[in-house]
Amino acid sequence: MQLSKKIVVLGHFGVGKTSLIRRFVENSFSDNYKVSIGVHITKKVVEFEVEDTMSLILWDLEGTDEIKTIRDAYLLGTHGVVFVFDVTRPSTFQSLNTDLEIIKSKLPTTPLFVVGNKVDLVVVSELETLFKENNIKTNFLTSAKTGDTVNDMFFELAKLIK
Amino acid sequence: MLKKFQQEYATKNVQFILTDFEGTILESDQAFLAIKSNSHLIDIHPFFECFISIKDTLEDEIVFNCVHIVVDNNEYVTDIQFSKKDVGFLVVISDYTSHYIAYQAIAQTRNESIINGELITIKNAELEERERFKNLFIRNFSHELRNPLTSIISITKIISSTSLTSEQENMIQFLQESNANLKLLLEDILSISMISSGRLKLSENVFSLSQLFELITFTYNTKTASKGLSFEINIDKKAPDYVEGDRLRLYQVLTNLLDNALKYTNEGKITLNITFNQKRANKVNMRFEVLDSGIGISKDNFETIFESFTQLKTATENPGSGLGLSIVKGLLDLMNSEIKISSSIGEGSNFYFDISLKQPLQTSTKPILNTNKKSTKKSSKRKTDKKYRILLAEDDINVQTVLFKLLLNTGYFYIDLVNDGALVMEKLINDDYDLILMDINLPNVMGDEVTRLIRDFPFKNIKKIPIIGLTGYSFEDDFAGFKKAGMNAVIAKPFDDQDLIGLIFKHL
Repeated sequence: MQLSKKIVVLGHFGVGKTSLIRRFVENSFSDNYKVSIGVHITKKVVEFEVEDTMSLILWDLEGTDEIKTIRDAYLLGTHGVVFVFDVTRPSTFQSLNTDLEIIKSKLPTTPLFVVGNKVDLVVVSELETLFKENNIKTNFLTSAKTGDTVNDMFFELAKLIK
Repeated sequence: MLKKFQQEYATKNVQFILTDFEGTILESDQAFLAIKSNSHLIDIHPFFECFISIKDTLEDEIVFNCVHIVVDNNEYVTDIQFSKKDVGFLVVISDYTSHYIAYQAIAQTRNESIINGELITIKNAELEERERFKNLFIRNFSHELRNPLTSIISITKIISSTSLTSEQENMIQFLQESNANLKLLLEDILSISMISSGRLKLSENVFSLSQLFELITFTYNTKTASKGLSFEINIDKKAPDYVEGDRLRLYQVLTNLLDNALKYTNEGKITLNITFNQKRANKVNMRFEVLDSGIGISKDNFETIFESFTQLKTATENPGSGLGLSIVKGLLDLMNSEIKISSSIGEGSNFYFDISLKQPLQTSTKPILNTNKKSTKKSSKRKTDKKYRILLAEDDINVQTVLFKLLLNTGYFYIDLVNDGALVMEKLINDDYDLILMDINLPNVMGDEVTRLIRDFPFKNIKKIPIIGLTGYSFEDDFAGFKKAGMNAVIAKPFDDQDLIGLIFKHL
């Protein structure tokens, strides 16, 4: 049986979680915002080398402004977490460190990536200043729209949880 | 409503699947999903990959709500329950698609509304920041312009009083007109900046309408005559003489409208009508109308002419800032009024507005009797033999030169100079002065800060010295701040010579 790992993608609503997964799995993007409810699960096989592959089971969780309300059942058996926020909306990252603490309390040993999405809409240098001022550390800055660093991000996480 | 929910439960699809402990399907009732026996749960949908982590840890049961699964190209939104049994696991899949779709529609509306609200807030903050930056830029820029403009205006005036050839006189006259235009432009830019930043506060003082109209009559008789036009002012007999409001800003509105009429009228006349509308409680409502026989305005331009820096194409021979009507609109907004227009091409224009002004009780019945001309310019001639000592604290060499020349020419003053805020106190301790002319932007210690030090000084002869502030900042709250620091008066650069001398004598 092929190696299979579960990655949970979570964050506030409207940050682009579904779009990131769609970009990664289907290499497509839609400007239409459709609210996700509950959980959507998709599968993507990543290939590290010839005959060295992994199935990523991507759990796209309903966005919430209260991370602590995420159903524990959804997190069961998680191998990796991607926390996504929208770089254009401060409300999605102003309580970032608190949100991360909540996630870490639920999944203390699970690798976690912090991802700022929609970077195509901002000037990255200004963003870096803003993050520095607010003590925000990210693993990746992505754009589901342009595809910028989306594959790299998932691939890096896959390598980490392999 | 209850029936709807009952029906949903009555018709819901529930599928029961029995697996062994490894997830191989033993039985399925095929209620809505066609699942083959002996296949594995994982084959149904990637969701069931979670079974691998459940099978070894689950003791009783677990439910996953609102799980989207796609089977045979059909999407279902389901609740999925795993229960541990003696033979393996019972998996119950309940199809709540219609229920969750209804919920999704509500969530969609809610989230979109919140996101749009956030984006509007961010956009507004950006616009406010841009507006703040723009106003700060205008404020600083105009401040920097004021010192050189003061020098140019004053030196031009000094040169004009010397012996000149006819050609030089013509050039000086041209220079004076250009200076006046530049000064007006600067004031217009500041006005529009103050209005748009919300920093302009209207004053509430009793003033004489008749005197205001006298001034306007005098000014526009002259202005229209120089262009071969005539000026007419018609004042309703019921119009009160005294009202309470912001005289300066009402004057600014009327003169901007009249100047605009003047700009676009080449023959005929310009008329100002003041009509009494009504009186309620202690407020009188009046209509002000400015009519001209000028080129007129197309209806298409009615909106745009009130925008900043807008000038009609036909006005190329009449240069101006293009801010006049924008200022009118902004000021009338502040006065809870609205500028209106009726016009058509070739038939002149009529700009009008209705405004309510408080009527002070003691003067409410006094009508305007006449508009006799009176001189409004204050004389600065003084009858005194005494010479006063003035300390000038100013670092700009051009302004120093102008003030020296201006004040020494009067013959009433001795002038001492310091060009550094830190040196003012030392001068005051060592010498006696009758008055200080204090620039605000002094090096090392700002003029308002020096003023505070003076006012806190223990010796009365120093503490009480009158101080007149000289500033390139002309916002009202700047003035208020300087006065709060202890200045007796503040005058904005570029200042009128006579105004400054009058102010000095007022405080000596």
